[in-house]
Amino acid sequence: MADKIYEEIQNTQLDEIYSKPYDPELAEKLFNPQKPMENRITDIGPPHYAQFFPPEIKKNYGKWKSHEIVQPGVIKYTSETGDVVYAVRVGTPRLITSDYIREVCDIADKYCGGYVRWTTRNNIEFHVTDEEKLRALLDDLKSRKHPGGSYKFPVGGTGASVTNIVHTQGWIHCHTPAIDASGVVKSVMDELFEYFGSHKLPAQVRVALACCLNMCGAVHCSDIAILGIHRKPPLIEDDRLQYVCEIPLVVAACPLGAIKPATVEINGEKKKTVRVNKERCMFCGNCYTMCPAMPLADHEGDGIAILVGGKISNRISPPKFSKLVIPYLPNEPPRWPTVVKTVKKILETYAQHARKYERLGEWAERIGWEKFFELCEIPFTDKSIDDYRLAYDTYRTSLHFKFTSHVEPM
Amino acid sequence: MAMDKEELKRKIMEFMEKKSGAKSKVYLKDMQRAIPDASPRDIKKAANELVQEGKLEYFSTGSTVMYGIPGKGQPVEQKG
Amino acid sequence: MADIKKHDTPTVDELKSGPWPSFVDDIYSYAEKHQKQSCFDLMGQLELSYKHKETHWKHGGIVGVFGYGGGVIGRYSDQQEKFPAIWAFHTIRVNQPASKWYHTSLLRKLCEMWDHRGSGLFNFHGSTGDAVLLGTVTEQLEPVFFDLTHQFNMDLGGSGSNLRTPSCCVGKARCEWSCLDTQAICYDLTMTYQDELHRPAFPYKFKFKISGCPNDCVAAIARADCSIIGTWIDDIQIDQEAVRAYVGGELKPNAGAHSDRDWGPFDIQKEVIDLCPTQCMYWDEKEKKLYINNKECNRCMHCINVMPEALRPGKETGATILMGAKAPILEGAQLSTVIVPFMRMEPPYDTLKELIDKVWDFWMENGKNRERVGEIMQRVGLNRFITDILGLKPIPQHVREPRSNPYVFWKEEEVPGGWERDLAEFRKRHPA
Repeated sequence: MADKIYEEIQNTQLDEIYSKPYDPELAEKLFNPQKPMENRITDIGPPHYAQFFPPEIKKNYGKWKSHEIVQPGVIKYTSETGDVVYAVRVGTPRLITSDYIREVCDIADKYCGGYVRWTTRNNIEFHVTDEEKLRALLDDLKSRKHPGGSYKFPVGGTGASVTNIVHTQGWIHCHTPAIDASGVVKSVMDELFEYFGSHKLPAQVRVALACCLNMCGAVHCSDIAILGIHRKPPLIEDDRLQYVCEIPLVVAACPLGAIKPATVEINGEKKKTVRVNKERCMFCGNCYTMCPAMPLADHEGDGIAILVGGKISNRISPPKFSKLVIPYLPNEPPRWPTVVKTVKKILETYAQHARKYERLGEWAERIGWEKFFELCEIPFTDKSIDDYRLAYDTYRTSLHFKFTSHVEPM
Repeated sequence: MAMDKEELKRKIMEFMEKKSGAKSKVYLKDMQRAIPDASPRDIKKAANELVQEGKLEYFSTGSTVMYGIPGKGQPVEQKG
Repeated sequence: MADIKKHDTPTVDELKSGPWPSFVDDIYSYAEKHQKQSCFDLMGQLELSYKHKETHWKHGGIVGVFGYGGGVIGRYSDQQEKFPAIWAFHTIRVNQPASKWYHTSLLRKLCEMWDHRGSGLFNFHGSTGDAVLLGTVTEQLEPVFFDLTHQFNMDLGGSGSNLRTPSCCVGKARCEWSCLDTQAICYDLTMTYQDELHRPAFPYKFKFKISGCPNDCVAAIARADCSIIGTWIDDIQIDQEAVRAYVGGELKPNAGAHSDRDWGPFDIQKEVIDLCPTQCMYWDEKEKKLYINNKECNRCMHCINVMPEALRPGKETGATILMGAKAPILEGAQLSTVIVPFMRMEPPYDTLKELIDKVWDFWMENGKNRERVGEIMQRVGLNRFITDILGLKPIPQHVREPRSNPYVFWKEEEVPGGWERDLAEFRKRHPA
């Protein structure tokens, strides 16, 4: 059966449709708003993956034998057939323009036969088969800079490094964010840049950012998670709400059932509106999604929480969630200095104290979280004690703890 | 057991028109609750066909999708 | 072309400096070159957000193109007078090729299309995996879809209460550890469930993610309602020669992942044997031979990660199927729970699909609005989910440890004689 898949991959050719020029007028000719089903093609799914495999990847599918990171950002893969492929990994800001993609294409056409790959963490991988091309590619990548001086294609993100930050959309495109995403990521990565292009850490450190607690970015299992938080319930525009929102839908939108219909009198006129049970609000923004008359964002209330110690891999210890160690840091565009400083402090304290192979969460568990707070000089607050669902799981029910500066003998 | 598809579509529209006074959009779940003698999958198929026919339209709540009658209630396209 | 209006963005401009690629420089270079008003307006609105520390976007009810209940996210600016070019600025999710390999002929053509029909901005890629076209007006949604399907053989991804776009790791295409044909599985599931992907079917979202090995590079165990993770059921393959090369310092441990710091010479005892979570390995210093008691191994892959030239996953490969992961909304974050410890994964993957059908049928019938599979699993109880709904045998692998409370909900048929008892008989033995 595996042979059948191998066969299929070998037989899949690059679709000729991509070599036909783009016709900017075709869609208008085909689409008829009066008969929307006319000429409509649906449910064809994505293009077959194997047509985008470079020849050496196709040929060696399922035959890879081992790999070696020859330098930060460059992984050499060796096949049982004796073939060798170098993958060069570069970081991107994820939010990119078509001109940036065209530049990626220029590089891929020049060195990689036109093939290129993106990773789950928004890195790009270029593949070459010989060392001469590898050197030329690395030089080329290093030389490409934006007008402001930033690298377009920094090489790194392999091994015991800080790889690219997976993140959400923030103020660029989301309606419920507490913070920006791209700006915070840029600020943090500028500061941690040396750790992206080197292998100095005890293990890999996965940093992730989500701009609100809905966590489109699934940051909940990251070594360091930067999470935007709201701290004020939504505003309610009583005079406008009934004209722009459907009250039953707003009521139904609240996951905690904290919204109920209400009637108020404004200038002698009865208005239908809603009331929020503020103690129950968890600031998810679902009501604002359904009702523009219930804005959530607030410049004073919104900020950033830091969670640490999560992981995905099953290596040594099982996957685990990130834990909330800092409930609130101020929202400071454009460079978020407090967040940047805090993340760096945590990273470097970990780098200094952890053992080889030890992930951030494994280190914190070995030394005890009380030690983690002490070493990282993070004040412990009541907000780090869980009072949501399943909170009891996190209570200390043994005498296994250390005496840190937190303990004041009574 | 299997209800005729046209019959099912008729029941869905009946439910939707009855609903559209107070609440113009419903979840698939609400239709399923209103028509307990049809299977959830059949209701899903019938409701999606009604969308194709232009009798119903989808409405995004962000992370989920609701169904409504075109032109009723909060509009899908928000101007201004 | 109408006059282009640029905005002063001194705060946002501060993100042009520093070594990490600047999205601000990229967007401005593009906007200048193509005289793109929407990009200038987007930066203007971002500047306003940096000043106000609040977003200026509103959600819209639009979900897709005609007949699709997903793939498009509606966005509207709340600054329509200041930034008219982005008053409507919708996102389109395009289903990516499995594991995100591309050819430049596709990418260049896509760029041309998006310059013409949208902002020219992309998220490459969205968290779920789609190639995201960021920002266009409502009138362009149908033309973009017609372009994608007619000129690219591409289709939209999922959103809302649809199946979300499945995604997978690089798999056997470039990784010696992959125990699965991740792309083949991802592609097959995507094609099998096109209807569920494009039209709402469920109480809430549902995600498939496929990782080739327990290192789990797509974070399947943390994000997917159905996590398919490659594993093996036989013995780790050992090349003793290469083990000796690691011990002798000829090979770099962990494939060179620690190269920029002096951690001292490689110590197999300290770095592999002692860190093995099951203590199932033994290094015989005299024999210069590594022994693994594979029956005790829990396949954490630490030893394989450290000595990739010497150790490889076994040859009898398959998947562990786990279910129920989700981000914290609403009941708290969940990791996926083991459902099937080992499943052989061969096309057309009928065993997996039968299992998925059972889960979907149950969830569609019984799920509450916005209830993820992981939450309904908790609500009905893992024991009932496994036995009554999936018809599987409960085994110790399903739990980390047995329950510690004795409050078992026995069923009547499990107790001899049932629950109907004869009171008179009882009172004969126990006078009141």
